[in-house]
Amino acid sequence: MAHIPDGVLSAPVLIGAAAATAVGVAIALKRLDSDRIPQTAVLTAVFFVASLVHIPIGPTSVHPLLSGLMGLVLGWAAVPAVLVGLVLQAAFFGFGGITVLGVNTFNIALPALVIAAVIGPLLQTAVNPTRVALLGALAGAAGVVLTAVLVCLSLGFSAQEYRPALTIVLASYAPLAAVEAVLTAAAVSLLRRVKPELLSVGEARHA
Amino acid sequence: MRKWLVPAVMIGALTAAATSPAHAHKLKVFATAVGERIEGTVYFVGGGPARGARILVESTDGKPIEELTADDAGAFAITAKVRTDHVIVTDSADGHSARTIIPASLLPASLPLPASTLGTGAAEARVSTAPAAPQEGGTGDPAAMEASIAQAVARQVAPLREQLSAYEDRVRLRDVLGGFGYILGLAGLFAWLRARRPMGGGR
Repeated sequence: MAHIPDGVLSAPVLIGAAAATAVGVAIALKRLDSDRIPQTAVLTAVFFVASLVHIPIGPTSVHPLLSGLMGLVLGWAAVPAVLVGLVLQAAFFGFGGITVLGVNTFNIALPALVIAAVIGPLLQTAVNPTRVALLGALAGAAGVVLTAVLVCLSLGFSAQEYRPALTIVLASYAPLAAVEAVLTAAAVSLLRRVKPELLSVGEARHA
Repeated sequence: MRKWLVPAVMIGALTAAATSPAHAHKLKVFATAVGERIEGTVYFVGGGPARGARILVESTDGKPIEELTADDAGAFAITAKVRTDHVIVTDSADGHSARTIIPASLLPASLPLPASTLGTGAAEARVSTAPAAPQEGGTGDPAAMEASIAQAVARQVAPLREQLSAYEDRVRLRDVLGGFGYILGLAGLFAWLRARRPMGGGR
């Protein structure tokens, strides 16, 4: 449900989020090292197909967002990764739309950045495998929850009539948060064991 | 062993996408006209019906005609009262929305035209269908016959239209592959642009 379609949001929300996204992409591209391009591309591809894994919950339906994982692995590069993924999803699958690209990118990439800034440093100092898994789970769940809140804010600011349904929308994200917590914990634990340099090394280098 | 990780993830994601037949994420409304009845369903592409979705039927100029909610199977039906384009708009109250149009040409000619177009050329068009009526012979009213044939054909064609619309929704493997191709191309382009600068400076 992170794909808000065209024609739902009001112009100020669309323009504001598009401007924020443009700034984010500019910063991210400036910071993106050549040797981090392959992993950015791979996670973009994973994000692109993850939207096809579809979980129907109550009146709506959700799919993995992977913003937690993208934040931890990509840091700032998550912004262009999400944007490219969303452009391709709109073009190939008809999810979302062109005018809402800014909002949708913002709603998914901002949580990734927050997670990179807050959980990333904690993860790098974590040694205990249980702690690593727990931080991964936290990142996965936090990504979903933050995106859910941002989606609700986008809808709530655009039109009054969406407000009553927003608690339902928020609640529908709870199972997804659980799924993503498990998924991200597993991914982070695996990466930590087999390829630890993938996890936020770039952030430390850039900071 | 580590070299296997990235390709393994890619292949895993690809097979997951390829084996799930129509997993997608989008609200869609399908409607078709059988006689005067406009029937349709609201559903999430690849994800079952949109229960209790709000449906607003309006004319092309935005005048509301009818408002209703979909049942538990996401289905709805209305009876058209005028022969005009019916725009069917739906939203599931959480930001998903969809629309479709039933053009006037799909509705039976026996329905009255909208008040605004009466008295113009449209009214003459109705008159031109009228002369068929007087020849009420043994075979019955040809206009009625025509209407019932049109209705029968519409009923036969409806499932086809539905199938066609579902086919359009399917996410095909080539779409997924195309997306991967774009990502690979963008990454390559970006790497190339980046690589030129330091190399040019070095020479």
